[in-house]
Amino acid sequence: MTWLTLLLDVQDTSAASYLPIAIQLIFAAGFVAAMIGMSALVGPKRQTKDKLETFTSGITTHGDARQPMAIKYFLVAILFVLFDVEVIFFYPYAVNFRSLGWAGFVEVLMFVGFFLIGFTYIIKKGALTWED
Amino acid sequence: MPIQYYIYLALSLFSIGVVGVLTRRNAIIIFMCIELMLNATNLLLVAFSKMHHAVALASNTATQVGIEGQLFVFFIMVVAAAEVSVGLAIIVMMYRNTHSVDINFLNRLKN
Amino acid sequence: MNAIILSALCGVVMMFSGILLKNKSAIKYVAIAALLVLIIGNLFQFYGIYTIDIDSKGLLSFDRTGLFFNTIIFVATLAYFILSGSDIERAGPDVAEYFALIFFVLCGVTILTSFNGLLMFFIGIEILSIPLYILTGSDKKNLKSNEASLKYFLMGSFSTGILLMGITLIYGATGSFGLQSTTIKSAVTGFSSAGILAPVGLVLLFISMCFKVSAAPFHFWAPDVYDGAPSVFTSFMATIVKAAGFFAFIKLFAAKSEDFGPGPAWKLILFVIIVATLFIGNITAVFQQSVKRMLAYSSIAQAGFMLFALYSTNDFTKDGILLYTAAYSFATIGIFSILTKMEDYSLDGFNGLSKSQPVLAFTNTVFFLSLSGIPLTAGFFAKYYMLASAIKGGGSLSLVIIAVLFAAVSVYYYFKVIQAMYFKEGVAATNTPITGNFKVALIVLAAIIVILGIYPTALLGFYYF
Repeated sequence: MTWLTLLLDVQDTSAASYLPIAIQLIFAAGFVAAMIGMSALVGPKRQTKDKLETFTSGITTHGDARQPMAIKYFLVAILFVLFDVEVIFFYPYAVNFRSLGWAGFVEVLMFVGFFLIGFTYIIKKGALTWED
Repeated sequence: MPIQYYIYLALSLFSIGVVGVLTRRNAIIIFMCIELMLNATNLLLVAFSKMHHAVALASNTATQVGIEGQLFVFFIMVVAAAEVSVGLAIIVMMYRNTHSVDINFLNRLKN
Repeated sequence: MNAIILSALCGVVMMFSGILLKNKSAIKYVAIAALLVLIIGNLFQFYGIYTIDIDSKGLLSFDRTGLFFNTIIFVATLAYFILSGSDIERAGPDVAEYFALIFFVLCGVTILTSFNGLLMFFIGIEILSIPLYILTGSDKKNLKSNEASLKYFLMGSFSTGILLMGITLIYGATGSFGLQSTTIKSAVTGFSSAGILAPVGLVLLFISMCFKVSAAPFHFWAPDVYDGAPSVFTSFMATIVKAAGFFAFIKLFAAKSEDFGPGPAWKLILFVIIVATLFIGNITAVFQQSVKRMLAYSSIAQAGFMLFALYSTNDFTKDGILLYTAAYSFATIGIFSILTKMEDYSLDGFNGLSKSQPVLAFTNTVFFLSLSGIPLTAGFFAKYYMLASAIKGGGSLSLVIIAVLFAAVSVYYYFKVIQAMYFKEGVAATNTPITGNFKVALIVLAAIIVILGIYPTALLGFYYF
């Protein structure tokens, strides 16, 4: 459990210790800006009427967007929340997987195995098929 | 920072959650208030964990006292996720039948 | 450890049996077989022969009481599967999932009987509760079932929030989630009212557990939820889950009882809660016309009796809670299995049952007699042990007298059903034909209740030897 001790031990809280985070933030923002700017500058420009319309995966738009959504989206969202949050248990393993060794690896495999069982169940029940 | 600030903050959040659960009529908002309660406890757990660790650190530099508080937070988060999925499914199920998420609908069983 | 792992695996097996087995009636037999494996695995550990031994780093600890309680719970579930299995099949399209959820609930029960700290306690409570929210709402098109499910869910997660705040405050004061470590750390320096953290935490813990077991000021959700849920699942919730909740409650507060400080204040609070629970449960049950709702209130009244185990913790208490669990669960499971077969859940629906179905009427009478605590049934000794423990523990004779009075009240409303079955004219219609196997199972269950009423040591003998 050394990693948690590390987290707990952060004593230096002066502004200078946040410099790497600031650099990271600047880099992230700069990267996004550069990519968007580059594609706007370099990319080909053909202005047609179709391109100005709302993009809906190639389907012609109809009606208002504020409508009750199909329940399938909800199911996928719920399943995503479940599987997403379970990943939290990988954090402790990821930080000290060296000290846990093979025993820890087997335990994580077992954890992933139960995940896969749940996932297989979802697929078999047809929760992820969107066509009715 | 002294611990009492964390205690006051967490207890305020918790109380907001409790009052919300008791006064609001919308099932989704009640649910959000319950999540607020859970997250208030998460905050307090981490604060207490750090506090116990800091005290133990003074006498022993290799101490691991206080880590179990943070581990508890992990479990609360995962359980909360499971509750969210079940709870939202129940609310959606009710919405399909009544076309409302108002808990004033919940009066069929009163008599 | 056997029971925890096996029950979770059984749940997974049931999940997939719904996909792999095309024949729906086979699922029930898979569930019964899985449960038998679970019972045998648990008995192996009870007799210490062979166990799946995983080092839980002190998070779990297994003792004979917990393992024996597991056995009682599993046997009650077996009776439930045998008697109500066909009703579970009729409850909805996802039969295998219902069985799987029941196994997950059992997994929560096994954790609650072996927790050795507040972390496992919390996880056990949640594993117990979350599948129940789904089971309550399993009748998807029925508005009453929806309503019961939402109410149960909101109340359940609200009390979980309170539970967590209690645990956190105790952790803040003591620096540990262990059951025994009660030394207040001086770490909370500079906080003028640091001494109040642990008592407030304990009170919050107490309140949330009262919510979970539907003790009096916090009982209001229980009748609605028990009434709205499909009857088969009400049977499970009102017996097995409630008993497990009580076991955890008692285990937790027996370990934490030194923290309560000077006794009288806690005794007084418990006194008020027990009397209020008995009063509300029994008096309201008298006025119910629906047998199902009457049973919901009666389960609150029975909770009042089980709270006696909390009032005084001594040797009698342990025997009492084990016996009470067995007596109450078996009788209520039997009653509900008959109730779900009835066309009409009101009292009049039972009119003349003794003419059309004499076996059902007779066994139902035995179950009701046991619930009301008439001698020669298991319920009598269960109540006797509870009251004896209170007298032995604190000499609070007034509480015992009040309890006996309310037991007398309960006889009144239980006998209303017996009266309807035997002394009123009518045609009690059943919604499905009653099979011979069902009758045999009912007679066996009634025989067990009578045997436990004559030789309560038969059950406790297993425990001690």
